[in-house]
Amino acid sequence: MAGFFKIAIRNFLNGPTTDPYPFGETFTPEKYKGIIAYDPELCIGCSTCEYVCPSGAIKVTEKDDGTGVRFVFWLNTCSFCGNCGYYCPTDAVYNSNDFHTARHQSEKFIPTIDDDISYVRCKRCEQKIKAPVEALLIRAYDEITEEVRHQTSLCPDCRRQEQFERM
Amino acid sequence: MGEIYKVPVGPIHIALEEPVYFKVNVHGETVENVDILSGFVHRGMEALVLRRNYLQNMIVTERTCSLCSNNHPFTYIMAVEKIAGVRIPERAEYLRVIADEVKRAASHLFNVSMLAHLVGFHSLMTQTMETREVLQDVKESIWGNRMDLGANTIGGVKYDLDKDQIKYLLGKLISLKKPVRELAAIYRDNRIVRARTEGVGVLTKEDALRLGVVGPTARGSGVDNDIRKAYPYAAYSKLDWDVVLEDGCDVRARALVRLKEVFQAIDLVEQCLSKLPEGPVALQGYPRIPAGEGVARTEAPRGELFFYVKSDGSSKPERMKWRVPTYLNWEALKVMMPGNKIADISVIFNSIDPCISCTER
Ligand code: SF4
Ligand code: SF4
Repeated sequence: MAGFFKIAIRNFLNGPTTDPYPFGETFTPEKYKGIIAYDPELCIGCSTCEYVCPSGAIKVTEKDDGTGVRFVFWLNTCSFCGNCGYYCPTDAVYNSNDFHTARHQSEKFIPTIDDDISYVRCKRCEQKIKAPVEALLIRAYDEITEEVRHQTSLCPDCRRQEQFERM
Repeated sequence: MGEIYKVPVGPIHIALEEPVYFKVNVHGETVENVDILSGFVHRGMEALVLRRNYLQNMIVTERTCSLCSNNHPFTYIMAVEKIAGVRIPERAEYLRVIADEVKRAASHLFNVSMLAHLVGFHSLMTQTMETREVLQDVKESIWGNRMDLGANTIGGVKYDLDKDQIKYLLGKLISLKKPVRELAAIYRDNRIVRARTEGVGVLTKEDALRLGVVGPTARGSGVDNDIRKAYPYAAYSKLDWDVVLEDGCDVRARALVRLKEVFQAIDLVEQCLSKLPEGPVALQGYPRIPAGEGVARTEAPRGELFFYVKSDGSSKPERMKWRVPTYLNWEALKVMMPGNKIADISVIFNSIDPCISCTER
């Protein structure tokens, strides 16, 4: 027993090793995969997150009135795997390091995140398109010129048409 | 000659509260023979994965079991990568080893701490768990979860280490060496632990070879079958290490193999960090998975893990099958248990590091 006695005395002198949470601070790493956060400003409604989510916690659907895309997230279904954040092209969805998952009973049957992004109109044909996202443009182009802005305000058909006319 | 009694052990609460049912025939206090019944926690994962796409399955397979959790997606992804015919960047190979070895060290410490629990040495158990907590903090800080790291992806890894993180990881691992050495000495030399583990649950080398046991269960009987050495994958062939072998053939030998492998894991991570090549950590984009079949195997903390994946070219696998180490190891319990006392049943069961949730999936 002598071997363990040394450890026991050391433990006694060092005091508790647990954090005094919730009465004090606790260790929460920066990269901790906690509750999903979502930024509709960055979202392009591509549904990648829904495709890769193994739990079916995210649903990205066309809104009933056709004015945009609806993003719904259910906390109780999420397994905190981080797949959605890893594959999202614009980092619109990601794991925050908030681990407080308790919710009121009244919130049990409503989605934890229920947001939507609205379509804009194509400048040429007025067809509904997804608005360009600044974060993606910055990643895709070295410099965002007027030309880029103009191109991204058109629907794919008009863009093709315009390119064709210029030739 | 006294009578033979039948004693049911399980299906709940043997070691680790894993649901498996032993029908034990005892003569006095001595085990005559055992029969094992299983199937209490079947979850139908092999059917579930066929209804998920390849990217979702990286996460589903990880949920097979918590202690080997990194090896399931790792092996699955290796099989899928074989079908797709892709080679991952070199940096990713090293990062895969780092994640795997950190998990292995944590898993082995968990198992030996359960051993201390089962022999009634609870302060040793809590101390081992406390030491393991360092690794849990590391996993939480670098991968974001305490158990399911989500480290691998098809075509590479999902995480990268910058200078600060390398320093943090190294610091934590080095700080672990002294306490683990101290604990290992207690597991090796303490009178009580020795009395409960030495000569208990003997599996001779011949039996180990005959039954085809894997992992530390085999290496505790002197059988060298480490997949990391025999069929190297990721960066293992580029690292300098030797397979840990013990020839005690008993519960103690298996625990010593695990404790030595904790040091080995720390050493392998240190080597990886010093050799870590520059470059990308994953392939650009997502590779197309054509029709075909692939198999892969890795050395999980409990032994050889094998995955078979069949693809028909669609976004979901057509068939997937995995064989887990406990499936091979629990057959050996029928050899290990006879001749031991009833009180040793749980100690022997724990010595194969059983994972029923893997085995029944
Ligand atoms: S959150 Fe990301 S992945 Fe999901 S729809 Fe929006 S942009 Fe696509
Ligand atoms: S963290 Fe995983 S389970 Fe949760 S929403 Fe994202 S992909 Fe789905």
